[in-house]
Amino acid sequence: MINKRCLSSTNKAQISTYKTPDFGDAVKKDKSTDKGRSYAYFMIGSLGMLSAAGGKSTVETFLGSMSASADVLAMAKVEVNLASIPEGKNAVVKWQGKPVFIRHRTAHEIEEANQVDITSLKDPQADADRVKNPSWLVMLGVCTHLGCVPIGEAGDFGGWFCPCHGSHYDISGRIRKGPAPLNLEIPTYEFQDDTLIVG
Amino acid sequence: MSFSRIYNVFFKRNSVFVGTIFASAFIFQAAFDSGITKWYNNHNKGKLWVDVKKSLEEGNGDDDDDDE
Repeated sequence: MINKRCLSSTNKAQISTYKTPDFGDAVKKDKSTDKGRSYAYFMIGSLGMLSAAGGKSTVETFLGSMSASADVLAMAKVEVNLASIPEGKNAVVKWQGKPVFIRHRTAHEIEEANQVDITSLKDPQADADRVKNPSWLVMLGVCTHLGCVPIGEAGDFGGWFCPCHGSHYDISGRIRKGPAPLNLEIPTYEFQDDTLIVG
Repeated sequence: MSFSRIYNVFFKRNSVFVGTIFASAFIFQAAFDSGITKWYNNHNKGKLWVDVKKSLEEGNGDDDDDDE
């Protein structure tokens, strides 16, 4: 019969004269191919699933390696939007694993901090030496005694109070009463427009 | 009969097939992760920090707590 190349395999003319062997013994009785086909697809799908999971893990690992590592975070600076802190309120941010107290002081509080007789202090320091902008008091929230975190708006001097051994700090963060030897530490910081950058 | 149903539900449309693969990849990952963790914890029972911590607390509770 006709034996030429043709694109359509359904063409009647394409049916060859080649005699197909009888595979009757191997063919299932009901001629259902669903089981074998489902099995094949299942295996293909399982491989695809494992590949997808592996690919996902790989991508996740790469993305994880791009995020900041612990040593980078340790040197990081912290930006604080000062507009979000109203006057007379405290904010605490975490910087290098330590709390940083930010107080938006009122005019009355600034006056109060300046009125203190410096010579009477345990750690003499003028309020002007402790702040860059009198409205904003920025200091490390770590008690200079044994390292607790003082509580804001508490204590006998209207500033901070350390609950561990009862150190009282005034509104400038200076030690006034209790066992702490030094004023609360001032970190390096700078103002940029409406943003405070600690570090 | 049931195989033809599986075929018709999951494998017939490629979009469903691929979608099933991706969805099961997520489930597999979570299951694999928790399974391995469970096996690891079971295999190292008694050597893990949770167990060591417990025995330390029972043994000598007077650990000096220098948190001030």
